[in-house]
Amino acid sequence: MKSRNLAIFLISSGLVLSATACGGDSDAGAKGDVTITVACQPAKTAPLQRKAWDDDVKAFEKAHPGVKVKSTDQQPCFDPKTFAAKLAGGQMETVFMAPVTNYADVMAKGQAKEITASTDLVKNFGSIRQDVRDMVTKDGKIYGVPNVSYSVGLVYNRKLFQQAGLDPNSPPKTWDEVRAAAKKIADLGDGYVGYGEYGGGNVGGWHFAQSIFSRGGEMVVNGKAAFNSAEGKAVLQTLHDMRWKDDSVGKKVLIGWEALMQQMAAGKTGMMLGAPDVVTDLVQKFQGSKEQYGIAPIPEGKASLTGGEAYMINPKASDAEAKAGLQWIDFQFNTPGKGRHDYARGKANGEAVGVPNNDYMSDSPTGQEIAALREKNAVLPVEYYQPYVEGAKNVEIKLEPAKAQELYAVLDVPMSAVLTRENADIDKLLADAESKANTILAKS
Amino acid sequence: MANTVDLSTHPETAGDDTRKGPPTAASRPRERRRAHWAEGHSRTIISPLELKSRWGSRIYWTVLAAILSVFTLVFVFPLYWMVTGAMKSGEEIAQMPPTLWPKDPDFSVFADAWELFDVGLLLKNTLFYSVGAWLFALAVDVTAAYALSKLRPMFGNVILGAMFATLMIPPIVVMIPAYITVTDVPIFGWNLLNTPWAIWFPVAANGFNIFLLKRFFDSIPDEILEAAEIDGVPPWRVLVSIILPISRPILGVVSIFTIVMVFKDFVWPLLVLPDSEKMTISVGLSQTAGQVTQNQIMAGLVMASIPMIIVFVFFQRSIMAGLTAGSLKG
Amino acid sequence: MDTPTVQAKRPPKSQRRPPARPSRQRRTLRTNITAYGFLCAALFCFALFAWWPIVRQVVLSFQETNLVDEPTWVGLDNFRAVVEDPAFGQAWKNTFAFTFLALLCGYVIPFVVAIVLNELRHARGYLRFVVYLPVMLPPIVSVLLFRWFYDPGPGLFNQLLDFVGLPGLSWLDSTDTALISLVIVSTWMNMGSGVLIYLAALQNIPGELYEAAELDGAGIFRRIWNVTIPQTRLILLLMLMLQVVATMQVFIEPYMLTGGGPENATVTVAFLMYQYAFVYGGNYGAGSALGVMLMVVLLAVAAVQLRLTRDEKR
Repeated sequence: MKSRNLAIFLISSGLVLSATACGGDSDAGAKGDVTITVACQPAKTAPLQRKAWDDDVKAFEKAHPGVKVKSTDQQPCFDPKTFAAKLAGGQMETVFMAPVTNYADVMAKGQAKEITASTDLVKNFGSIRQDVRDMVTKDGKIYGVPNVSYSVGLVYNRKLFQQAGLDPNSPPKTWDEVRAAAKKIADLGDGYVGYGEYGGGNVGGWHFAQSIFSRGGEMVVNGKAAFNSAEGKAVLQTLHDMRWKDDSVGKKVLIGWEALMQQMAAGKTGMMLGAPDVVTDLVQKFQGSKEQYGIAPIPEGKASLTGGEAYMINPKASDAEAKAGLQWIDFQFNTPGKGRHDYARGKANGEAVGVPNNDYMSDSPTGQEIAALREKNAVLPVEYYQPYVEGAKNVEIKLEPAKAQELYAVLDVPMSAVLTRENADIDKLLADAESKANTILAKS
Repeated sequence: MANTVDLSTHPETAGDDTRKGPPTAASRPRERRRAHWAEGHSRTIISPLELKSRWGSRIYWTVLAAILSVFTLVFVFPLYWMVTGAMKSGEEIAQMPPTLWPKDPDFSVFADAWELFDVGLLLKNTLFYSVGAWLFALAVDVTAAYALSKLRPMFGNVILGAMFATLMIPPIVVMIPAYITVTDVPIFGWNLLNTPWAIWFPVAANGFNIFLLKRFFDSIPDEILEAAEIDGVPPWRVLVSIILPISRPILGVVSIFTIVMVFKDFVWPLLVLPDSEKMTISVGLSQTAGQVTQNQIMAGLVMASIPMIIVFVFFQRSIMAGLTAGSLKG
Repeated sequence: MDTPTVQAKRPPKSQRRPPARPSRQRRTLRTNITAYGFLCAALFCFALFAWWPIVRQVVLSFQETNLVDEPTWVGLDNFRAVVEDPAFGQAWKNTFAFTFLALLCGYVIPFVVAIVLNELRHARGYLRFVVYLPVMLPPIVSVLLFRWFYDPGPGLFNQLLDFVGLPGLSWLDSTDTALISLVIVSTWMNMGSGVLIYLAALQNIPGELYEAAELDGAGIFRRIWNVTIPQTRLILLLMLMLQVVATMQVFIEPYMLTGGGPENATVTVAFLMYQYAFVYGGNYGAGSALGVMLMVVLLAVAAVQLRLTRDEKR
């Protein structure tokens, strides 16, 4: 009887203990070998890209005997929701990706390894634009290798421009021209939207920042909110007038990044603010038509919000792991014609090659080499993006403000207000947002 | 980890069908042909006599017709709109005014949506989590309820009280510490993110299951168990061969609601199963819905609803009937 | 529930003890060991995944942590930060407004519906099935379905309004209607359980009470007032609390439909909590501080409920 009772103990506790199996991690490699985990393997749903990645891993392992590479394919590969927990739980990859939005946060919280002394492992590190490198530098110490950099422009639908009697080869240069063009496109009929804009879900505030920068305004100056300015008012006033006087921005409030992308891809929306990679996504993810989209520099062009990403090393990585990790970054993301920059293979795999979505090496020799390779293998009409490429060179790039997401949440309010209320009081909205933002900025 | 207290698990719900009034009513010879439907039903607010009156009967049929149409409109029509919406083309679905029935029903959208949302994988994952949670929660909660109800150990009431106390605090309120706990389980140091245990452990810690099971076990007379004990039957055999067979109805209730709860849950799997290979159907739908067309979304929703509707059709009866059939008389 | 509701009255101890039992002390020890053996899995699960998070919530609310370094104690800083948050007041206001509106729709209507259903002699099975159908659907299905219905253009609702000659509404896109739009979705997908619970309670009312009331000359509404409501008062109270608890945690509706907007009109406390912890770069301390406040409110609701039930039973 007693042993039987014991059996039931074992059954119930066995259920519990069997969970231990998933907790233990066993990667005791052979002596001398280094095993690194690398993030951002393409998802299974993109089999060709995934195979290309796996081939790269094999090639890399062959070139670096003793280094084993394990890939992870979490989608999206940087998830702010799980980032801290992954790091704390020891599940963070040796080599991980961080978007420019999170650089400051990651560096401030000590979540990336300092690599100042070993940047020479990335052969083309010197070719990366200085201003882009500065973003991953804090107090003279370098914490990452930027691999993508771009600034926001104006993505527009050339077909609709033509239909509306506008010249697709001379896209609007000022916000007044944007408004006029939007009106013409909206007049095409029911369901046509001249200019698409977000009104919530933090992307509203994000686009507010893009708009105010373009007009030469500022978000934050010396730790104080600076958007309650003539430029800030102009952003909201224009949007308000477009919604209520011209009815050219649509009636539906767009929440979340996909909402506007989807609308743009559907082919009835004339313009939106967006970086060149918007076109890649429109074509690749949202089934937009390849021939439709052109990219112009951001209207007014005083400054433009920058986007991009960098690869960083897990702060818990050993020196040997960090070395192998940097070699991987070098191999996969910074060598013309290899890895990410193997545009011939991209073209063969049906990717939307040709969008000038990466300017991180600018006019350096390596940068020119990459741009040439990209154009040679372009699938998309490169000439449609020329206005952006030329214009963007002269536009000052600006980083996102500190506490960006919290400020964006605050600025969602005025953005949604002008899009949903005809009697919205812009001065009051901005003043309120300013005091709210200052409260947030004053916190630690 | 339901994000709301599932009200339907309340014990009063289930027996509903079982109290259809005195059985004699049906067998009683019907004296009046007219309006015999007014009988055969336990006495409610309105008396059968009132119903049988001419006005009573008119009002009754009017109300019945109104209720039937309103209910169909409110609860069935949206689902009809979802299914037909899926079968409309991209232009037709955006058309104003809409068409009541798709001009050219297109079933291929279901295949597209199946691919785009990866519905097969998502359903498989969700089913795995649900069934696993069910087995695990049942094993854990039944043994616990049995111990608390029949073995009555020291501090049993304290434990019971602490378990019930968790009912006051719904899971979403503690999502942050629960999430942190799952990423690094105290003492053991496990990281359960992207593992099914992140779902299963918290589901087993369900005060309501314990409450239901214990209340049922309490109603089983101790005499039966004591007789068994005298015969030298060990406790685990008492549980397996005496308690469990008579508890089938309550086990049914607990099972079905655990499965449904896990299947429906959104916030918790959104946090703890972020990997696209491990996602549940709800989370998967929410993540991909922004990237596909409206008719494809609807097709995805239809496919996500089907399993639960099947469960409902299938178990609606068995729960209700099972409750009466399995109950201990006296 | 027709489960054995017989209160198994335990016979007095003297009778209960079977003759051939080992000494009392040994039995107690052995029973205890066995009992805890049966309990250990549940204790494990509860301790780590139910009790500990509650404690941890309180601890976290006084700390600042990035989960990697040792957390630092920051006193009331998190609470201060949360209270100063511009969305804080709005979030509570919205949560209470949502709770109130949801009670109006989700508490009164189901009770009335249940009373009517209980009077019907036909199609009961169909009606019960249909009203519970949305409850079975995953919430994401209802929410995404209604997102489409609310579309100001080709959405079903505005098309229906148009059909009967009324002007369309902005639904989710206006501060005036956004919150009530969320309540409508929420009520649609949760109402069924309320109806079925009331229905069961109504069927428990002995018919004689109605007969007696009728003999006293009470009309239909008097019968409801004098018999139905007093007879279901306990379940009504319980449901009231459960509904309050359920609606205090609104999350998926604002998360999927409005992102808290427009102009913060639909930010709820649970949504704000999520934003802090998982959107604003891992501010777990501030999120937990909000969580602690929510716990206090819920416990207060539970205490009030307990008082009322106790008074009622007396």
